[in-house]
Amino acid sequence: MTSAPATGTDAAWIVGLLQAGDSYYPTGSYAHSFGLEGLVQAGTVHDRATLRDFLFLSALPALRHVELPLAAHAWHAYGAPDWNKIGELCVLSSALRTAREARLASENIGRQRAELAAHLRAAPLAQEFLRRGTAENWPHSSAVSAALEGRIFGAPLDAVLAGVAYASLAALLAAAMKLLRLGQNGAQSLLTEALAAAPALIAAAQNVPVEEIGWFNPWLDIAAARHETADARMFIS
Amino acid sequence: MAEFSGHLALRAAARPDGRTVLAAQAFRAPFHIGKPYWDQDTRTLLVQVVNPTAGILAGDRLESEIAVEAGAALFVTTPSASRVFRMRAGEAASRQHFAVAAGAWLEVLPEPLVPHGGSRFRQVTTIDVAAGGSLFFVDQFQAGRIGHGESWAWERLQLELTVRCAGALVLRERFDHGGAELRDLAALGGSGPQACFANAILLGPAAGPWTAEISALHSADVQVGLSALRAGGWSLKLVARDSITLRETLRRVRAIVSAAAPHLACDARKL
Repeated sequence: MTSAPATGTDAAWIVGLLQAGDSYYPTGSYAHSFGLEGLVQAGTVHDRATLRDFLFLSALPALRHVELPLAAHAWHAYGAPDWNKIGELCVLSSALRTAREARLASENIGRQRAELAAHLRAAPLAQEFLRRGTAENWPHSSAVSAALEGRIFGAPLDAVLAGVAYASLAALLAAAMKLLRLGQNGAQSLLTEALAAAPALIAAAQNVPVEEIGWFNPWLDIAAARHETADARMFIS
Repeated sequence: MAEFSGHLALRAAARPDGRTVLAAQAFRAPFHIGKPYWDQDTRTLLVQVVNPTAGILAGDRLESEIAVEAGAALFVTTPSASRVFRMRAGEAASRQHFAVAAGAWLEVLPEPLVPHGGSRFRQVTTIDVAAGGSLFFVDQFQAGRIGHGESWAWERLQLELTVRCAGALVLRERFDHGGAELRDLAALGGSGPQACFANAILLGPAAGPWTAEISALHSADVQVGLSALRAGGWSLKLVARDSITLRETLRRVRAIVSAAAPHLACDARKL
């Protein structure tokens, strides 16, 4: 990204990304904990310290190896646009998540983002994506849809990936505030710390070839799988 | 020390009387196979794949190709754990491909991988299952040479798994962790230095009472997660306190799921 003063063109994509990354934007992510509730139920995450460990040992590596590379490849593919590649990335995004709830979370948020892009902005790229995805039964993907939004806004890749990182971490910490004794200042301090790592993750993620996308945490996958049949739960995932 | 470029190729086929035989076999050190055993009760052919060398060393390149034809049922296992030794330089790599035809059954249940301190190992597994084919695939590994008090000391362990059903990508996993990285995750996850892991894929059986029975195996000693894959089939992940617990849990898993997949009742004939 450039350090030059923002232009009118920059402002257009900046406000677009701000809108798409806001908790007010109805992606449905507020209903998901992305496996965190399962880890809390298992006793793995139970306070600020263990939440911080989870962020740095699991959430950030997953961004680095899965969400950000998926979004980066999708952003390039939308530029052509290379619809075969887009379809492959949608399927890959789904196949990378073995826990059903984690997979559905990404698919539902991805669907909502794509439909909002088509509806709110009447964007031909989003409309064509939805048409092809329906015709070819592509699973939706939050990362692929974030790249779609970025292309519609005219945002550069670094900014799109920053938006993906922010939305993912902020949604996780919003869920954490409901699950743990964690206040808003505590959540913001963790978010600040995690976001400080984002530039390095964003740079590294752009060098991940498609065949090397993937990463998983066995304990998170187990907790997410067990969350499906939990007696009580606050979040869908 | 000599580097191996090992190769194993097996093709299981059903004879007209329904009995499974190895219609083709070829192998080169360090691979060797024991005499196949026909388990009449489950109508499954059991094959033990043996590595007569000490284990996997730097520079080793192992390739295997196992195919099961329509109507055949094959169970592939190993008699002992596979050690991946310390490497001063380089890495070892294994590529394995399994193909299961319509109406065929394949179970792959090798003993655990034991990555020693300073080792670097990459395993790439690709599984292609035709519509109507069935599979139980298990990958196991230990935290290290637990008996020597060595855990999480490997440099890099990469376990890549791709599963396609009827040509459609169902699962892609990349386990890529340094020992220290996984040690920290294990500490967070409540697992100690003797932790053992199993990552299993089950294709074929529909949902039934067995799913709840599997989930009920979860305890303070073994964490159990079962979830449906995107286009049919199941992912089962286990993290056990130690190797004995993992072995016993896998034995119970096979017994439970055998109600829906009868070939899993085949005895591995190991002491």
